[in-house]
Amino acid sequence: MLYPESYDVVVIGGGHAGTEAALASARMGVRTLLVTQNLEALGQMSCNPSIGGIGKGHLVKEVDALGGAMALAADQAGIQFRTLNSRKGAAVRATRAQADRVRYRTAIRLRLEAQENLALLQDSVDDLIVQAGGVSGVRTQQGLEVNARCVVLTSGTFLGGVIHVGLQQSQGGRVGDAPSNALAKRLRALGLPVGRLKTGTPPRLDGRSIDYSRLQAQPGDMPVPVFSFLGNAGMHPRQVPCWITHTTLQTHEIIRGGLDRSPMYTGVIEGVGPRYCPSIEDKIHRFADRDSHQIFLEPEGLDTHEVYPNGISTSLPLDVQWALVRSIPGLEKARILRPGYAIEYDYFDPRALHPWLETQSLQNLFFAGQINGTTGYEEAAAQGLLAGANAALRARGDAPWWPRRDEAYLGVLVDDLTSRGVTEPYRMFTSRAEFRLQLREDNADARLTPIGRQLGLVDDLRWARFEAKQVAVADERARLSAWMLRPGSAAALTLEPLLGKALERDVSVLDLLRRPELSHAAVLSCLQPEAPSLPQDVAEQVEVEVKYAGYIARQSEELERDRRFEDALIPADFDYTQVSGLSREVESKLQKIRPATLGQASRISGITPAAVALLIVHLRRRHSSKAGACAA
Amino acid sequence: MAPANVIVALATAPGRAGVAVLRLSGQGLAQFARQLTGITPEPRHAHLVGFRDLMGAVLDRGLLLWFPAPASYTGEDVLELHTHGGDVLPRRVMQACLALGARPAQPGEFTRRAFEHGKLDLAQAEAVADLIDATSEAAARGALRSLSGDFSKQINGLQETLITVRVQLEGAIDFPEEELPVAALARAQAWLTPVLGTLQRLLAEGLRGQALRMGRQVVLFGAPNVGKSSLLNRLAGEALAIVSDEAGTTRDAIRSHLELAGLRVELVDTAGVREGAQAVEKLGIARAHEAASQADLVLWLQAFDQVDGLAIPVLPVGVPVLEVWNKGDLATPTQSAQVLKRANTCVVSAQTGAGIADLEQRILAALGWSAGVEPGFLARTRHLDALRLTLRHVEQALQAPAEELVAEELRLAQRALDLVLGDFVADDLLGEIFSRFCIGK
Repeated sequence: MLYPESYDVVVIGGGHAGTEAALASARMGVRTLLVTQNLEALGQMSCNPSIGGIGKGHLVKEVDALGGAMALAADQAGIQFRTLNSRKGAAVRATRAQADRVRYRTAIRLRLEAQENLALLQDSVDDLIVQAGGVSGVRTQQGLEVNARCVVLTSGTFLGGVIHVGLQQSQGGRVGDAPSNALAKRLRALGLPVGRLKTGTPPRLDGRSIDYSRLQAQPGDMPVPVFSFLGNAGMHPRQVPCWITHTTLQTHEIIRGGLDRSPMYTGVIEGVGPRYCPSIEDKIHRFADRDSHQIFLEPEGLDTHEVYPNGISTSLPLDVQWALVRSIPGLEKARILRPGYAIEYDYFDPRALHPWLETQSLQNLFFAGQINGTTGYEEAAAQGLLAGANAALRARGDAPWWPRRDEAYLGVLVDDLTSRGVTEPYRMFTSRAEFRLQLREDNADARLTPIGRQLGLVDDLRWARFEAKQVAVADERARLSAWMLRPGSAAALTLEPLLGKALERDVSVLDLLRRPELSHAAVLSCLQPEAPSLPQDVAEQVEVEVKYAGYIARQSEELERDRRFEDALIPADFDYTQVSGLSREVESKLQKIRPATLGQASRISGITPAAVALLIVHLRRRHSSKAGACAA
Repeated sequence: MAPANVIVALATAPGRAGVAVLRLSGQGLAQFARQLTGITPEPRHAHLVGFRDLMGAVLDRGLLLWFPAPASYTGEDVLELHTHGGDVLPRRVMQACLALGARPAQPGEFTRRAFEHGKLDLAQAEAVADLIDATSEAAARGALRSLSGDFSKQINGLQETLITVRVQLEGAIDFPEEELPVAALARAQAWLTPVLGTLQRLLAEGLRGQALRMGRQVVLFGAPNVGKSSLLNRLAGEALAIVSDEAGTTRDAIRSHLELAGLRVELVDTAGVREGAQAVEKLGIARAHEAASQADLVLWLQAFDQVDGLAIPVLPVGVPVLEVWNKGDLATPTQSAQVLKRANTCVVSAQTGAGIADLEQRILAALGWSAGVEPGFLARTRHLDALRLTLRHVEQALQAPAEELVAEELRLAQRALDLVLGDFVADDLLGEIFSRFCIGK
């Protein structure tokens, strides 16, 4: 039957990409439908129970700055919070929360149900309705047809998913859930470039069978970090620690003994796994000289005893899993609740996407999340938000939007994906971002909330808070910059113990904060012990900006040099075969990837400066001949 | 319009020739020309001008042509400066341009700009594309091949060390919870100190190589009547080849070119420096000071018959000084011995030629040049610029207070070194991290 209502945007999938996509699209005021196989699994964390981390926490804050759900849900579900790299500089500090799975799902579900313009439907999408080179709706397993202006596909590992435990295989999108094979087949038939990737999870343990007395506790940080720019520690549930243990030589023996029944080492798995998240059998094989590997025991929630042993992802047979778990200190009597497994799934070469995540071959079809070859909730959520926002922009008839590499990790993410493609599941790292010093968690709001507001992603409450913070930051900066300290003055003398020596010349308090060892809090509590302290985010913002100012000014120069070139758009219908002088290889690469800008073109592997120069000439000619035609 | 993004290069082949042409391209070059020559050029007119340094001293006289944008080769403002030929004068004028904010052009950069501004037709564009292809890859490989294999080996070694340090740092930043082997910051500093040493040595070698091609400037400086002119004539006369002997561009300085053990040396005679001089003489003395401050080496000439009542002149800071005592034939053995006790001192007689051979060796040594030592590599200015930039970032990395700042300096250091070698992207670094460390919970 035809679904009684038609939609501007239909989102397929209810994971982290799908929920952010649906929320973003609905926030922008277009009618949105989210279709998922299982409404109970909305916002499900299928792998480890944690949100954030280095590079990933940055993405979460960016999603938050654009009005997304992930950070607030983490604040409502987080049961252990840490700031990683807290001893390093602000640019590489990152928030991470262990999240209670049930509370996280609940937070996301409530948010979805409270969102205006958003409808939910439990069904499985089997087919896309395609008309005149573009997608115009979906067909479901139950025989519904839904018409839509745009479709966002976020099917995660469900496309052609195959689960491996030892040499046994079964089909599934996640243990216990059916794969989306009809859709996978349909997409393959549409000629989209497809590949196979692999990822895995560890066995889950019964916490009541763990001997915690033998383990080292790892409590969260105090004061407890907060994820969302709108969040506060009062939102957090009760906090609990994680625990640390190690594999032993005996563990490694057991694993080696089981390799002949490993799907990885017997060649059954063809998909490529991530190098930074190897299975325990991989670690032992590749780093044979290490006699121990660290394992973090992460609680899955406050209302369950289930524990996630982070560090022993494996697809070894069940008997080997039991033996290896029980060779680990503290886990001698541990019971496995669910076995670990590896999953292989289809992904689509993201170089076939525009940087706004629309497929180049099928108009109005957007891809986000693991389907694009990424891994991680945060990478998925960020793409989901971008794809949802662009689907809404398309439905409204507006031009697409995507951030540049110097504006957001989200910009780095889509540029890497669409220019370079992936050879393994793609995860964010700060070392991927050449403008790392300016892409910080603390300024994600300053970088993205204004554009988010403009696009319609940011509501009044967030906007008001943002503006208030920016005003407070500017006021404080102005106050400290005008506040001069003179050598020998009373203020200078109070500061002397902090400075280690007497002040030698006039200096503003702001300039004083440039010194790496001086914090805003330390200086101000010294100078004005009585004054009420500023909100921490404001003080932090002022201090961090001053400390990085010189470096960021230098990066801006670097940026300015490349800007003209970077932003030059290549028309979507540009015919690379008309550019004589390009080598066959370069031409076919460009024809396939269809970069949106010259900057993107220049980052494609194998694209020479000469090829870029030729493109410049041709773009210019095209431009001037068009202008000429108009004049005539 | 303020000058912006100005590039400069020698458009004619380097070496001995009657005329050399320097070409500049960029924005706001009319003002640039005014700063360089003091005149406001007319478009496409040949002006006879003096090219001046920042102090206003005239370096050379020649022709200036201004081609305002867009009617120029590159489509931007273009200046052509026709100077006298040879190595020294064009180099000086080039330096004056650099001092005014221009930077040396990359290979093919003029053509590329022409290209970008649509000044070439398609056939030309394609030919140029090949050229740029050749140069950008060659900028690295081809150019390196023309240098000694030893040099590229050393650069590769540096690159490897930088990568190793970056891998440690980035590993520590992106994977703080992994049990990585070391305290990255301390380790980085330990690795970087020798890198600094190697860079300094390579730079010195490069400069020495450049000296071989470009020559070095030695200024004779001292009180009147100590025998500067006779020493100049003696040195010039003893030289293997006198390249030229021209009237100075300043009223009181005489320049001679000679070759010492294969090194080209420009010898500059200056006005005698003394107190209580009259106006015109004062001008000459001011120029002597200026010449001395710009020299690669200053010979501070004194004479045994002038020892009484002379104040020690103000010597330039930062320029090596060799103290030369002339008229050694008039000195008693005690006097000579006393003088020679001091460091950087030698005794000569311009009259008899005694001590001149020794002086030549001392000059060469002071210029970092000694026979029998390998001339280093024939670095291009671009290579030296890249090495200097790398050095600066490594120095700053050693002082940076936090991991991510050290990492930022090293990213830039490596980019600078990439100008010599080739390309390296962030993902390679991750690959290195993954292959060296067991990463992943």
